[in-house]
Amino acid sequence: MIKPFLGWVAALLLCVGGVAVHYLAQGKHAQEEVRQVVRVTGLPVPSLSVAYYEPRVLFYENAANPAYPQMQIINRMDLVYAK
Amino acid sequence: MQNSAFFHFLTLLLFKQRSKHIGAVLISVIIIFLLSSVLFISSSLQYSLMDTLEGEADFSVSRIQAGKAVNTPVEWMEKIMEINGISGLTSRVYGRYFFAPRERSFLIVGVDLFDEQNSRQMQKLAERLDLKAFLSEESMLVGEGVKKFLEKHYYKSYFTFKTPQGRFKKVKIVQMLPSQANLVANDIIIMPIDLAREIFGISEDEVTNITFNVPNDAEWDNIVAKLHLLFYDVRVVEKREIKKAYENLYNYKGGLFLILYLVTIVTFILILYQRYSMVYSTERKEIGILRAVGWSIREILKLKFYENLIIVLVSFLLGVVFAYLYVFIWDAPLLSRIFLGGANLSNHVEFVPVVKFGLLGSIFLFYAVPFLAAVLIPAWKIAVTPPKEAML
Repeated sequence: MIKPFLGWVAALLLCVGGVAVHYLAQGKHAQEEVRQVVRVTGLPVPSLSVAYYEPRVLFYENAANPAYPQMQIINRMDLVYAK
Repeated sequence: MQNSAFFHFLTLLLFKQRSKHIGAVLISVIIIFLLSSVLFISSSLQYSLMDTLEGEADFSVSRIQAGKAVNTPVEWMEKIMEINGISGLTSRVYGRYFFAPRERSFLIVGVDLFDEQNSRQMQKLAERLDLKAFLSEESMLVGEGVKKFLEKHYYKSYFTFKTPQGRFKKVKIVQMLPSQANLVANDIIIMPIDLAREIFGISEDEVTNITFNVPNDAEWDNIVAKLHLLFYDVRVVEKREIKKAYENLYNYKGGLFLILYLVTIVTFILILYQRYSMVYSTERKEIGILRAVGWSIREILKLKFYENLIIVLVSFLLGVVFAYLYVFIWDAPLLSRIFLGGANLSNHVEFVPVVKFGLLGSIFLFYAVPFLAAVLIPAWKIAVTPPKEAML
């Protein structure tokens, strides 16, 4: 194998190794803050940045597009997956 | 020794003809990057939400009127409490507050701070929060998105809410919720339950919904049946339903991208196949020369296989590494809006690193097999023709 090729392979492996180290070292500590907010609010729903007429608290709100009341909002999966 | 010469020739060929491969590598990296990014985001969101769902009550009950959820009477709590096997009965007050001048909304959650457990959790959530001072005047904790929005509109330490009775309510912004919790808290405002009632105009004998746990899973269906016998205008949301829906929620969006990926990869493979099978391509000449100098068909196929395997591996690894950096280091700007929306307050979420290796393996197979086939089949077709004809 020629030297430049080995150099490229080493650089690529370094990148993959760096990612692996980050993945293993990172852990899931950021998740603790999310859990704590949910313990206080009791609402484990994603903070979707949706328009006012769209459901923000999933599964608890019934809302539809006022212009097309029959049309389901894309975030509500009832139209694709049966509950 | 023979093998060493082969790999030397192979790597030399790759470097000499790098301009020929760079296009295929670039397109592959972009396709793999996009798909991996989407899958990383969806699996991270799914992991985070499933994890938070563990703290969610087993059942949530609300009153339904004309098909819409309306305020639930507090007296329902007493009736529900009479059902055997129920624990942790509690009520919630929350709702969306619409800020008409800018057409933005916040999710206000009222918390009963006189409840010992709630006050303890609040203390944990907001460090250095003096609960007494918090309760002594009308105050609130706000998510990062709300804080930024209010600051932008000159509400630096206070915000004035308008109640349904037309009165104004000035509420102090005490602290911002941790930005690491933006996934669930970006547009949230936490305030004492009485203040939330006042802002929404909810009377003392009403709540938004009632939640409770049923520790014995076998009793769940039975409890639902009992609730429907107790109240005729009730809507019961079960935790298991939400869990199932969350599993599908982001799979669906990931699935859309998977379809797009398949369409793109098929197009790319067709282009690749076309390029390699072109009548006057340099590939033909190259294979013809190798045949003329005595290479067997098997050796030529081996060369082409290894040459393209290296391209496939490099492209795949680069695509995945870039996607990882983009999602878990730079928090996926632009792409995260597809998953979290962008119609209300802007949300900057720190994604928890979650990598599904099985899924990555499937992407690799769906990418590598057609890629190699698209190159090896035309190469084999040329290799079996006499060298003289191949070089014409």
